[in-house]
Amino acid sequence: MPAGKKECIPTCDNCGDPAIFFDPGLQRHLCERHLCLGLEHRVTRALTRHNMVSDGDRIAVGLSGGKDSSVLLSVLSLVIPEHWDAEIIAVTVDEGIAGYREETIQSAVSLTQQLGIPHHIVSFQSLFGTTLDSLLIAHPLRACTACGILRKKALSDAAREIAATSIATGHNLDDAAQSVLMNYFRGDFERLLRDSSSREERGFIRRIKPLHEVNEKEITLYSMIKGITGLLPECPYATTAFRAEVRTLQAAIEYHYPGASRRIITGQESLNEQAKKTIRPGTVSYCASCGDPCSGPVCQACGLLAGLNKRD
Amino acid sequence: MRLQLPDGTIRDIGREVKTVAALLTGCNINPLEVIVTKNGRLIPEDATVSGNDEVRVFLVAHGG
Ligand SMILES: [Zn+2]
Ligand SMILES: [Zn+2]
Repeated sequence: MPAGKKECIPTCDNCGDPAIFFDPGLQRHLCERHLCLGLEHRVTRALTRHNMVSDGDRIAVGLSGGKDSSVLLSVLSLVIPEHWDAEIIAVTVDEGIAGYREETIQSAVSLTQQLGIPHHIVSFQSLFGTTLDSLLIAHPLRACTACGILRKKALSDAAREIAATSIATGHNLDDAAQSVLMNYFRGDFERLLRDSSSREERGFIRRIKPLHEVNEKEITLYSMIKGITGLLPECPYATTAFRAEVRTLQAAIEYHYPGASRRIITGQESLNEQAKKTIRPGTVSYCASCGDPCSGPVCQACGLLAGLNKRD
Repeated sequence: MRLQLPDGTIRDIGREVKTVAALLTGCNINPLEVIVTKNGRLIPEDATVSGNDEVRVFLVAHGG
Protein backbone atom coordinates (compact mmCIF):
# COMPACT_ATOMS: atom_id res chain seq x y z
CA MET A 1 0.00 0.00 0.00
CA PRO A 2 1.58 3.30 -1.02
CA ALA A 3 2.08 5.76 1.83
CA GLY A 4 -0.28 8.71 1.80
CA LYS A 5 -3.19 6.80 0.32
CA LYS A 6 -6.34 8.79 0.84
CA GLU A 7 -8.93 7.88 3.42
CA CYS A 8 -12.23 6.74 1.95
CA ILE A 9 -15.55 6.82 3.78
CA PRO A 10 -18.12 5.80 1.16
CA THR A 11 -21.61 7.26 1.37
CA CYS A 12 -25.05 5.95 0.40
CA ASP A 13 -25.94 6.56 -3.25
CA ASN A 14 -29.51 7.27 -2.21
CA CYS A 15 -29.16 9.66 0.71
CA GLY A 16 -25.51 10.47 1.44
CA ASP A 17 -25.44 8.83 4.88
CA PRO A 18 -22.42 6.65 5.69
CA ALA A 19 -22.54 3.47 3.60
CA ILE A 20 -22.41 0.06 5.26
CA PHE A 21 -22.65 -2.10 2.15
CA PHE A 22 -21.38 -2.04 -1.41
CA ASP A 23 -23.42 -3.97 -3.95
CA PRO A 24 -20.85 -5.03 -6.55
CA GLY A 25 -23.51 -6.16 -9.04
CA LEU A 26 -25.34 -2.83 -9.04
CA GLN A 27 -22.18 -0.84 -8.20
CA ARG A 28 -24.09 0.97 -5.48
CA HIS A 29 -23.33 1.96 -1.89
CA LEU A 30 -26.12 1.67 0.65
CA CYS A 31 -26.62 2.98 4.19
CA GLU A 32 -28.36 0.95 6.92
CA ARG A 33 -31.77 2.37 6.10
CA HIS A 34 -31.50 1.89 2.35
CA LEU A 35 -30.12 -1.64 2.67
CA CYS A 36 -33.20 -2.54 4.72
CA LEU A 37 -35.63 -0.75 2.41
CA GLY A 38 -34.00 -2.37 -0.62
CA LEU A 39 -34.29 -5.85 0.87
CA GLU A 40 -37.94 -5.30 1.80
CA HIS A 41 -38.61 -3.99 -1.70
CA ARG A 42 -37.03 -7.04 -3.34
CA VAL A 43 -39.11 -9.38 -1.17
CA THR A 44 -42.30 -7.51 -2.10
CA ARG A 45 -41.28 -7.63 -5.77
CA ALA A 46 -40.61 -11.38 -5.60
CA LEU A 47 -43.99 -11.97 -3.91
CA THR A 48 -45.77 -9.92 -6.59
CA ARG A 49 -43.88 -11.05 -9.68
CA HIS A 50 -44.20 -14.73 -8.91
CA ASN A 51 -47.76 -14.43 -7.55
CA MET A 52 -46.59 -15.97 -4.29
CA VAL A 53 -49.44 -14.48 -2.25
CA SER A 54 -53.16 -13.93 -2.80
CA ASP A 55 -55.79 -12.38 -0.57
CA GLY A 56 -57.22 -14.91 1.85
CA ASP A 57 -53.98 -16.96 2.01
CA ARG A 58 -52.80 -18.56 5.21
CA ILE A 59 -49.02 -18.61 4.93
CA ALA A 60 -47.04 -21.04 7.07
CA VAL A 61 -43.57 -19.55 7.52
CA GLY A 62 -40.92 -22.13 8.31
CA LEU A 63 -39.05 -20.59 11.25
CA SER A 64 -35.96 -22.46 12.41
CA GLY A 65 -34.82 -19.54 14.55
CA GLY A 66 -31.70 -19.02 12.43
CA LYS A 67 -31.00 -15.76 10.61
CA ASP A 68 -32.61 -16.54 7.21
CA SER A 69 -35.99 -17.67 8.50
CA SER A 70 -36.02 -15.00 11.23
CA VAL A 71 -35.38 -12.25 8.69
CA LEU A 72 -38.00 -13.84 6.40
CA LEU A 73 -40.65 -13.76 9.12
CA SER A 74 -39.79 -10.19 10.12
CA VAL A 75 -39.95 -8.92 6.54
CA LEU A 76 -43.14 -10.80 5.69
CA SER A 77 -44.85 -9.50 8.82
CA LEU A 78 -43.98 -6.02 7.60
CA VAL A 79 -44.77 -6.20 3.88
CA ILE A 80 -47.66 -8.69 3.67
CA PRO A 81 -50.20 -6.56 5.62
CA GLU A 82 -49.30 -3.57 3.42
CA HIS A 83 -50.30 -5.32 0.21
CA TRP A 84 -52.45 -8.37 0.95
CA ASP A 85 -55.17 -9.57 3.21
CA ALA A 86 -53.33 -12.74 4.21
CA GLU A 87 -52.52 -14.48 7.48
CA ILE A 88 -49.04 -15.45 8.66
CA ILE A 89 -48.35 -18.34 11.03
CA ALA A 90 -44.82 -19.29 12.06
CA VAL A 91 -44.03 -23.01 12.13
CA THR A 92 -40.98 -24.36 13.90
CA VAL A 93 -39.81 -27.95 13.57
CA ASP A 94 -37.85 -29.23 16.57
CA GLU A 95 -35.61 -31.92 15.08
CA GLY A 96 -34.27 -32.92 18.49
CA ILE A 97 -30.64 -31.79 18.40
CA ALA A 98 -29.42 -31.50 21.98
CA GLY A 99 -27.29 -28.51 22.94
CA TYR A 100 -28.26 -26.60 19.80
CA ARG A 101 -32.01 -26.48 19.27
CA GLU A 102 -32.92 -25.23 22.77
CA GLU A 103 -31.35 -21.84 22.13
CA THR A 104 -32.50 -21.41 18.52
CA ILE A 105 -36.10 -22.43 19.39
CA GLN A 106 -36.09 -19.91 22.24
CA SER A 107 -34.95 -17.28 19.75
CA ALA A 108 -37.87 -18.27 17.45
CA VAL A 109 -40.33 -18.02 20.36
CA SER A 110 -39.12 -14.53 21.36
CA LEU A 111 -39.32 -13.32 17.76
CA THR A 112 -42.92 -14.47 17.22
CA GLN A 113 -43.93 -12.93 20.55
CA GLN A 114 -42.27 -9.68 19.61
CA LEU A 115 -43.95 -9.64 16.19
CA GLY A 116 -47.28 -10.85 17.59
CA ILE A 117 -47.46 -13.77 15.16
CA PRO A 118 -49.07 -17.12 16.04
CA HIS A 119 -46.43 -19.83 16.46
CA HIS A 120 -46.89 -23.56 15.94
CA ILE A 121 -44.10 -25.89 17.11
CA VAL A 122 -43.90 -29.53 16.04
CA SER A 123 -41.21 -32.08 16.85
CA PHE A 124 -39.66 -35.11 15.15
CA GLN A 125 -40.36 -36.90 18.44
CA SER A 126 -44.11 -36.36 18.28
CA LEU A 127 -44.41 -36.81 14.51
CA PHE A 128 -41.99 -39.66 13.88
CA GLY A 129 -41.41 -41.09 17.37
CA THR A 130 -37.69 -40.28 17.34
CA THR A 131 -35.33 -37.33 17.64
CA LEU A 132 -32.68 -36.63 15.02
CA ASP A 133 -30.01 -37.36 17.63
CA SER A 134 -31.27 -40.88 18.44
CA LEU A 135 -31.95 -41.57 14.77
CA LEU A 136 -28.34 -40.79 13.92
CA ILE A 137 -26.92 -42.85 16.79
CA ALA A 138 -28.74 -45.98 15.62
CA HIS A 139 -28.25 -45.36 11.93
CA PRO A 140 -25.12 -43.95 10.36
CA LEU A 141 -27.02 -41.84 7.83
CA ARG A 142 -25.85 -38.61 6.40
CA ALA A 143 -27.24 -36.21 8.97
CA CYS A 144 -28.23 -33.36 6.64
CA THR A 145 -29.91 -35.66 4.11
CA ALA A 146 -32.05 -37.47 6.70
CA CYS A 147 -32.81 -34.24 8.53
CA GLY A 148 -33.73 -32.48 5.29
CA ILE A 149 -36.17 -35.20 4.21
CA LEU A 150 -37.87 -35.41 7.61
CA ARG A 151 -37.94 -31.65 8.18
CA LYS A 152 -39.65 -31.11 4.85
CA LYS A 153 -42.27 -33.72 5.73
CA ALA A 154 -42.72 -32.25 9.23
CA LEU A 155 -43.23 -28.78 7.80
CA SER A 156 -45.80 -30.07 5.25
CA ASP A 157 -47.70 -32.03 7.90
CA ALA A 158 -47.71 -29.04 10.26
CA ALA A 159 -48.86 -26.71 7.47
CA ARG A 160 -51.70 -29.07 6.60
CA GLU A 161 -52.68 -29.29 10.25
CA ILE A 162 -53.08 -25.52 10.49
CA ALA A 163 -54.85 -25.40 7.09
CA ALA A 164 -52.11 -23.30 5.47
CA THR A 165 -52.40 -22.48 1.77
CA SER A 166 -48.64 -22.08 1.26
CA ILE A 167 -45.33 -22.69 2.98
CA ALA A 168 -42.69 -19.94 2.92
CA THR A 169 -39.06 -20.87 3.54
CA GLY A 170 -35.95 -18.75 4.03
CA HIS A 171 -33.90 -20.08 1.10
CA ASN A 172 -31.72 -17.28 -0.25
CA LEU A 173 -29.92 -16.55 -3.50
CA ASP A 174 -26.67 -18.19 -2.39
CA ASP A 175 -28.47 -21.38 -1.29
CA ALA A 176 -30.14 -21.61 -4.69
CA ALA A 177 -26.92 -21.09 -6.67
CA GLN A 178 -25.13 -23.67 -4.49
CA SER A 179 -27.91 -26.22 -5.02
CA VAL A 180 -27.70 -25.84 -8.80
CA LEU A 181 -23.90 -26.27 -8.70
CA MET A 182 -24.15 -29.29 -6.38
CA ASN A 183 -26.59 -31.02 -8.74
CA TYR A 184 -24.23 -30.37 -11.66
CA PHE A 185 -21.24 -31.73 -9.75
CA ARG A 186 -23.24 -34.83 -8.80
CA GLY A 187 -24.56 -35.16 -12.35
CA ASP A 188 -28.05 -35.33 -10.83
CA PHE A 189 -30.08 -34.43 -13.90
CA GLU A 190 -33.38 -35.53 -12.40
CA ARG A 191 -33.06 -33.32 -9.37
CA LEU A 192 -31.75 -30.47 -11.47
CA LEU A 193 -34.94 -30.44 -13.52
CA ARG A 194 -37.36 -31.11 -10.70
CA ASP A 195 -39.45 -28.01 -10.29
CA SER A 196 -41.52 -28.28 -7.16
CA SER A 197 -42.92 -24.76 -7.40
CA SER A 198 -45.31 -25.67 -10.20
CA ARG A 199 -46.60 -28.93 -8.79
CA GLU A 200 -50.26 -28.78 -7.94
CA GLU A 201 -51.07 -32.36 -7.01
CA ARG A 202 -53.67 -33.29 -4.49
CA GLY A 203 -52.42 -32.70 -0.97
CA PHE A 204 -49.41 -30.71 -2.09
CA ILE A 205 -49.04 -27.33 -0.41
CA ARG A 206 -47.33 -24.70 -2.53
CA ARG A 207 -43.82 -23.71 -1.40
CA ILE A 208 -42.60 -20.15 -1.83
CA LYS A 209 -39.11 -18.67 -1.35
CA PRO A 210 -39.53 -14.90 -0.91
CA LEU A 211 -35.81 -14.36 -0.13
CA HIS A 212 -34.64 -15.99 -3.36
CA GLU A 213 -33.30 -12.70 -4.73
CA VAL A 214 -31.42 -11.72 -1.57
CA ASN A 215 -27.92 -12.88 -0.74
CA GLU A 216 -26.64 -14.17 2.57
CA LYS A 217 -24.54 -11.12 3.40
CA GLU A 218 -27.49 -8.74 2.97
CA ILE A 219 -29.66 -11.00 5.15
CA THR A 220 -26.99 -11.05 7.86
CA LEU A 221 -26.67 -7.26 7.72
CA TYR A 222 -30.45 -6.82 7.87
CA SER A 223 -30.58 -9.11 10.89
CA MET A 224 -27.77 -7.19 12.64
CA ILE A 225 -29.24 -3.75 11.88
CA LYS A 226 -32.74 -4.69 13.03
CA GLY A 227 -31.47 -6.74 15.98
CA ILE A 228 -33.45 -9.80 14.83
CA THR A 229 -31.12 -12.60 15.87
CA GLY A 230 -28.12 -12.46 18.13
CA LEU A 231 -25.15 -14.77 17.89
CA LEU A 232 -26.60 -18.27 17.67
CA PRO A 233 -24.81 -21.62 17.79
CA GLU A 234 -24.20 -23.47 14.51
CA CYS A 235 -25.82 -26.88 14.06
CA PRO A 236 -23.41 -29.55 15.42
CA TYR A 237 -24.07 -31.68 12.34
CA ALA A 238 -23.27 -28.52 10.34
CA THR A 239 -23.82 -28.67 6.63
CA THR A 240 -22.26 -31.47 4.68
CA ALA A 241 -18.61 -31.02 3.78
CA PHE A 242 -19.69 -30.97 0.15
CA ARG A 243 -22.01 -27.97 0.52
CA ALA A 244 -19.32 -26.14 2.51
CA GLU A 245 -16.83 -26.67 -0.31
CA VAL A 246 -19.33 -25.60 -2.96
CA ARG A 247 -20.17 -22.52 -0.86
CA THR A 248 -16.52 -21.42 -0.77
CA LEU A 249 -16.27 -21.95 -4.51
CA GLN A 250 -19.54 -20.10 -5.24
CA ALA A 251 -18.50 -17.16 -3.02
CA ALA A 252 -15.14 -16.94 -4.83
CA ILE A 253 -16.84 -16.97 -8.24
CA GLU A 254 -19.34 -14.34 -7.12
CA TYR A 255 -16.55 -12.11 -5.79
CA HIS A 256 -14.56 -12.22 -9.02
CA TYR A 257 -17.60 -12.19 -11.34
CA PRO A 258 -20.32 -10.16 -9.59
CA GLY A 259 -23.80 -11.36 -10.51
CA ALA A 260 -22.63 -14.89 -11.40
CA SER A 261 -24.88 -16.52 -8.77
CA ARG A 262 -27.93 -14.75 -10.13
CA ARG A 263 -26.98 -15.83 -13.67
CA ILE A 264 -26.55 -19.46 -12.55
CA ILE A 265 -30.12 -19.38 -11.20
CA THR A 266 -31.62 -17.52 -14.17
CA GLY A 267 -29.94 -19.99 -16.52
CA GLN A 268 -31.35 -22.86 -14.51
CA GLU A 269 -34.83 -21.35 -14.62
CA SER A 270 -34.79 -21.09 -18.40
CA LEU A 271 -33.48 -24.64 -18.61
CA ASN A 272 -36.46 -25.74 -16.50
CA GLU A 273 -38.82 -23.85 -18.81
CA GLN A 274 -37.32 -25.55 -21.88
CA ALA A 275 -37.36 -28.95 -20.21
CA LYS A 276 -41.04 -28.61 -19.37
CA LYS A 277 -41.83 -28.45 -23.11
CA THR A 278 -39.92 -31.56 -24.05
CA ILE A 279 -39.90 -33.85 -21.04
CA ARG A 280 -43.16 -35.56 -20.18
CA PRO A 281 -43.89 -35.15 -16.51
CA GLY A 282 -43.24 -38.37 -14.59
CA THR A 283 -46.33 -40.05 -13.23
CA VAL A 284 -47.23 -38.75 -9.81
CA SER A 285 -48.26 -41.34 -7.30
CA TYR A 286 -49.27 -40.99 -3.69
CA CYS A 287 -47.42 -42.47 -0.73
CA ALA A 288 -49.04 -45.73 0.41
CA SER A 289 -48.23 -44.84 3.99
CA CYS A 290 -49.05 -41.13 4.40
CA GLY A 291 -50.74 -40.10 1.14
CA ASP A 292 -48.24 -37.39 0.19
CA PRO A 293 -47.51 -36.95 -3.52
CA CYS A 294 -44.30 -38.80 -4.42
CA SER A 295 -42.56 -40.53 -7.30
CA GLY A 296 -42.49 -44.13 -5.97
CA PRO A 297 -44.73 -46.39 -3.88
CA VAL A 298 -43.87 -44.48 -0.67
CA CYS A 299 -42.49 -40.98 -0.06
CA GLN A 300 -38.87 -40.42 0.93
CA ALA A 301 -39.74 -39.71 4.56
CA CYS A 302 -41.89 -42.83 5.01
CA GLY A 303 -39.26 -44.89 3.18
CA LEU A 304 -36.59 -43.61 5.52
CA LEU A 305 -38.66 -44.26 8.64
CA ALA A 306 -39.79 -47.72 7.45
CA GLY A 307 -36.17 -48.69 6.83
CA LEU A 308 -35.34 -47.72 10.40
CA ASN A 309 -38.21 -49.69 11.91
CA LYS A 310 -37.36 -52.82 9.91
CA ARG A 311 -33.81 -52.87 11.22
CA ASP A 312 -34.77 -52.07 14.82
CA MET B 1 -4.61 -0.66 14.11
CA ARG B 2 -6.00 -3.72 15.80
CA LEU B 3 -7.55 -6.39 13.60
CA GLN B 4 -9.75 -9.06 15.16
CA LEU B 5 -10.46 -12.05 12.93
CA PRO B 6 -13.55 -14.34 13.15
CA ASP B 7 -11.57 -17.01 15.04
CA GLY B 8 -10.66 -14.47 17.73
CA THR B 9 -7.07 -13.94 16.55
CA ILE B 10 -5.86 -10.37 17.05
CA ARG B 11 -3.25 -8.78 14.80
CA ASP B 12 -1.51 -5.42 14.79
CA ILE B 13 -1.75 -4.11 11.23
CA GLY B 14 0.17 -0.83 11.42
CA ARG B 15 -1.23 2.67 10.91
CA GLU B 16 -1.15 3.10 7.16
CA VAL B 17 -4.35 3.74 5.22
CA LYS B 18 -5.65 0.60 3.52
CA THR B 19 -8.95 -0.62 2.15
CA VAL B 20 -10.96 -3.28 3.91
CA ALA B 21 -10.88 -5.38 0.72
CA ALA B 22 -7.06 -5.30 0.63
CA LEU B 23 -6.92 -6.15 4.32
CA LEU B 24 -9.24 -9.14 3.89
CA THR B 25 -7.74 -10.56 0.72
CA GLY B 26 -4.35 -10.23 2.44
CA CYS B 27 -5.70 -12.61 5.11
CA ASN B 28 -7.16 -14.95 2.45
CA ILE B 29 -10.70 -13.93 3.35
CA ASN B 30 -13.38 -13.44 0.69
CA PRO B 31 -15.08 -10.11 1.54
CA LEU B 32 -18.45 -11.63 0.57
CA GLU B 33 -18.20 -14.14 3.39
CA VAL B 34 -17.65 -11.63 6.20
CA ILE B 35 -18.96 -8.44 7.73
CA VAL B 36 -16.54 -5.79 8.95
CA THR B 37 -16.86 -3.12 11.62
CA LYS B 38 -14.54 -0.16 12.24
CA ASN B 39 -14.70 1.13 15.79
CA GLY B 40 -18.00 -0.70 16.20
CA ARG B 41 -19.66 0.60 13.03
CA LEU B 42 -20.46 -1.44 9.92
CA ILE B 43 -18.39 -0.47 6.86
CA PRO B 44 -18.32 -1.61 3.21
CA GLU B 45 -15.26 -3.32 1.75
CA ASP B 46 -14.04 -0.28 -0.22
CA ALA B 47 -13.90 1.84 2.95
CA THR B 48 -10.45 2.53 4.35
CA VAL B 49 -9.05 1.93 7.82
CA SER B 50 -6.02 3.62 9.38
CA GLY B 51 -4.33 4.98 12.51
CA ASN B 52 -5.75 3.56 15.72
CA ASP B 53 -8.89 2.01 14.20
CA GLU B 54 -10.24 -1.13 15.78
CA VAL B 55 -11.28 -3.45 12.97
CA ARG B 56 -13.40 -6.54 13.58
CA VAL B 57 -14.28 -9.24 11.08
CA PHE B 58 -17.39 -11.41 11.56
CA LEU B 59 -18.28 -14.49 9.55
CA VAL B 60 -21.58 -14.37 7.70
CA ALA B 61 -23.54 -17.03 9.58
CA HIS B 62 -24.91 -19.88 7.47
CA GLY B 63 -28.24 -21.53 7.50
CA GLY B 64 -31.63 -21.20 9.04
ZN1 LIG C 1 -29.21 5.86 2.32
ZN1 LIG D 1 -45.22 -40.93 3.09
